[in-house]
Amino acid sequence: MIKNYFKIALRNLWRHRGFSFINIAGLSVGITACFFIFMYVSFELSYDDFHSKGDRIYRIVTDIKTPSETINTSSTSWAFAPAIKADFPQVEAFVRVSGGSFLVRKDNVKFQEDNTLFADSTFFSVFDFKLLKGDPKTALTQQASLVFSETAAKKYFGDKDPVGQTVLVTGDAIPAVVTGVMEDMPENSQIKADMLISMSTLTQKFNKGLDDQWGNYGATSYLLLKPGVNYKSFEAQLPAFMEKRNGTEAKQSQMFATLFLEPLKDVYLHSTRSGQQSGSINNVYVFSIVAVFILLIACINFINLTTARSVERAKEVGIRKVVGAAKGELAGQFIGESIILCLFAFIITIILSVLLLPTFNQLAGKTVSPGVFSNAYYILSLFGISVGIGLLAGIYPALVISSFKPVLVLKGRFSTGNKGSLLRKSLVVAQFSISIALIIGTIIVYNQMDFMQNRDLGFSKDQTIVLDTNGDPAKDAFKQSVKEIPGVKSAALSSSIPGGGNMGAYSEIENSKGDLQIANLDLYYVDFDYIKQYNIKMVAGRAFSRDFLKTDTTQAMILNEEAVKLFGYTSPQQAIGRRFKQWGREGKIIGVMKDFHYRSLQEKIKPLSMRAENGNLNMISIKVSAKNLPATLSAIESKWKTLIPNRPYSYYFLDEFFDRQYRSEQRFGKLFFNFSILAISISCLGLLGLASYSTFQRTREIGIRKVLGATTTGIVNMLSVDFIKLVIISIFIATPVAWYFMYKWLKDFAYRIDIQWWVFVLSGSLAIVVALLTISFQAIKAAIANPVKSLRSE
Amino acid sequence: MLSLQHISKYYQAGGNKNYVINDISLDVDEGEFVSIMGPSGSGKSTLLNIIGMLDEPSEGYHYFVNEAVHQLKEKKRAALYKQYIGFVFQAYHLIDELTVYENIETPLIYQDVKGSERKAMVADMLDRFQIVGKKDLFPAQLSGGQQQLVGIARALIAKPKLILADEPTGNLNSKQGEEIMELFSKLNKEDGVTIIQVTHSEKNAEYGSRIINLLDGRIESSRKF
Repeated sequence: MIKNYFKIALRNLWRHRGFSFINIAGLSVGITACFFIFMYVSFELSYDDFHSKGDRIYRIVTDIKTPSETINTSSTSWAFAPAIKADFPQVEAFVRVSGGSFLVRKDNVKFQEDNTLFADSTFFSVFDFKLLKGDPKTALTQQASLVFSETAAKKYFGDKDPVGQTVLVTGDAIPAVVTGVMEDMPENSQIKADMLISMSTLTQKFNKGLDDQWGNYGATSYLLLKPGVNYKSFEAQLPAFMEKRNGTEAKQSQMFATLFLEPLKDVYLHSTRSGQQSGSINNVYVFSIVAVFILLIACINFINLTTARSVERAKEVGIRKVVGAAKGELAGQFIGESIILCLFAFIITIILSVLLLPTFNQLAGKTVSPGVFSNAYYILSLFGISVGIGLLAGIYPALVISSFKPVLVLKGRFSTGNKGSLLRKSLVVAQFSISIALIIGTIIVYNQMDFMQNRDLGFSKDQTIVLDTNGDPAKDAFKQSVKEIPGVKSAALSSSIPGGGNMGAYSEIENSKGDLQIANLDLYYVDFDYIKQYNIKMVAGRAFSRDFLKTDTTQAMILNEEAVKLFGYTSPQQAIGRRFKQWGREGKIIGVMKDFHYRSLQEKIKPLSMRAENGNLNMISIKVSAKNLPATLSAIESKWKTLIPNRPYSYYFLDEFFDRQYRSEQRFGKLFFNFSILAISISCLGLLGLASYSTFQRTREIGIRKVLGATTTGIVNMLSVDFIKLVIISIFIATPVAWYFMYKWLKDFAYRIDIQWWVFVLSGSLAIVVALLTISFQAIKAAIANPVKSLRSE
Repeated sequence: MLSLQHISKYYQAGGNKNYVINDISLDVDEGEFVSIMGPSGSGKSTLLNIIGMLDEPSEGYHYFVNEAVHQLKEKKRAALYKQYIGFVFQAYHLIDELTVYENIETPLIYQDVKGSERKAMVADMLDRFQIVGKKDLFPAQLSGGQQQLVGIARALIAKPKLILADEPTGNLNSKQGEEIMELFSKLNKEDGVTIIQVTHSEKNAEYGSRIINLLDGRIESSRKF
């Protein structure tokens, strides 16, 4: 019996090649899209799941309350974790890590290792990063001991055994012994490093006493709790601990820290605090929903086409019933057919996936999967998805078809009836609602991106290249020599650049009442050229100037408007000449600058202070002329090579750098865009099938109308109107839903566009046009056909 | 073999009942060859469908091989029908996607006959109808007469006791029609298969042992030879 069904199924597929193609194509594309999303989602969910003690590891995060604001940070001071371990027996171990970037040299080979972490000696026993060479217990114990990843080790040592060898770090200053080689950290690890240096190097050598500093935030701390410890109740004991250990100091500095624990597995997706790498559970949700939608659209196509075509199968069903088939057997046959169809789709999906995976990895910005076949689980679930869809989409048509009454069917007095067509219509509406909503979403996402990239940021970011000198002593000389290059307009040194990180400084500023008010202010160290070069406007007072060289470098500060507001001044002018204390310096406010977006547009502009101190001026921004850019760049490079030969030369453009903050949004937008295109294409594929079917069914009616004098246009209109009505209904359904979700999405941005009415009009028109194009092809074909033919065949 | 008592079939149209079959009582014995005649709309096909259990009467009693069909559940009825009845249609109603061989085989599949047995039975049937050479052709590749032969072969394959034929020669030319009628006659006489056919043709009707004339849903006349 199976063989018989199988044969019938294959022959049917072949006989109706057009329909089969639409069906299989729609399904394959839908399943492929879903499969990719599935891989993406399971990859995102797999972050940090390879640690065998993962369910006992927690990240300590801190809320720091200052008089001006509460800072939610993912970092801790170096003192927290060791003190907690000492006070609480529930804690089995702690690991602190903190990032850095070091110039590493082995003989003549040198690289800037940007992905370096200082890590406590417990690193390898708490986490499951594998050490290929060396002893995991002692690798990070000694000062200046160093562990390379396999890939990094190859760069310096080739195939030789690096363990026991010495390399020079931090500009040849310190010899470090390689004590181990670890496996490259997996892609789905939130902690990532190519090089580890023992934490004691930092806390006992570079920065003695760091272990006891409670107010210096910069380490990320992890706790390994003993089995059976409830982290929530443990967390509840931390405020008392902080009060006991740090109460007095906190009162003095007016910085009150509250500690919280985040389970390691939640850090990547759920934590809203910044980390080394972070994903977004919302994106995971959004894409899962999109996947379900696309699958739904593909299934709807399938159901629609199959039930629409059921009329053609009706005769077969009638005959089979007459020769003795039971309803169940017939339903089984049709479900089987849809499963066969899905298996075809499965095979095509695998081919498509293999072909598209590299593109997808690129789009996602990471190696979501090294290969479709790398994980048997993926293929198995893909198979499951396919068969599942076959079942799901096959059931309804199978039940409809198998319940045809043979007498009616064989008499030819058969019509699908209104019930089925109503269902088909609602399904088309559902498809188009989803598609239109996705289009609206895409347009809004792109609008917002565009808005962010083109908004006036309050500073000039064009034609500026940035180099990180890493504090090289030759940076001033480099700046001077760069300025002599003809294509260079100006150059400025600073501790931070917009879009990059900045320091946060404990500050006391005189407020409008005349008191020193404590606040945590963002801080930029800049040189005298910075404000001018970045075209930052002053609204009161003056910028730093060489005319006041002595005082400006030691006792002058510039605030932004936001900071002035914070301290209670109603006009910027009032703040001029007020006192400040910050990081051991005291002096006067000499100017107020207009607010500029030194952070991404997702965030509100915060209070910012600037000082012209000659410390930490690591970044050099060079304004270049657009003319002869390549020559200018190579001139800059050669200056670098002569003055700072120890450091690798790498530069970036400030505008690109700033826009990199929106990378994840851009990626989100791109993915969204692609999936909407997919959704609308699959929907149209279905519409095409349905339209061709309905025109086929109305061939006779069209023939009669033509004989009675209907024009081609009239008939095309008649055939199109029915479908366009459905699309219009969809527009009305999609609009409020899309508006609601996009409104919520936009709320995450401090600076955002208003949702304009034309977005909906545009999306709707787009859908109508695409639908019209799809339908009219069929409609025109039917309308220009010779009526004599269609009537004779009746 | 079968007995219809006071069978009626009507459709409700407004307040009126539109009778297609109006109070028909009819007994058919095993081995009979009955021809049902009458003008279009007289209810011939409906009567045949009721006998074949494809259609249900609105009223009346229906007995088939001593079973009260009107009381049987759908499943039981289907089983009874599968076992005893074969259908032949005017439009042949072969499955277009299946070959001659597969079309003939289909009923056996639904009766759970084993594969090897099926092969033998279909081969036997092909042989008997002399269409072995055409077994791999699709219906569209056959002439009308050949298609009807396949249709009859399919109706016979499960060895039914009763063949119901709805204008089996309606779409055939007279020579093909004659051959089909000869075949029916032979089946009836040599194999003892009971046959009930609906026909427009007086000539074809005379192959039977009894002719029933219907008019407006009633039996107008019935004569035996």
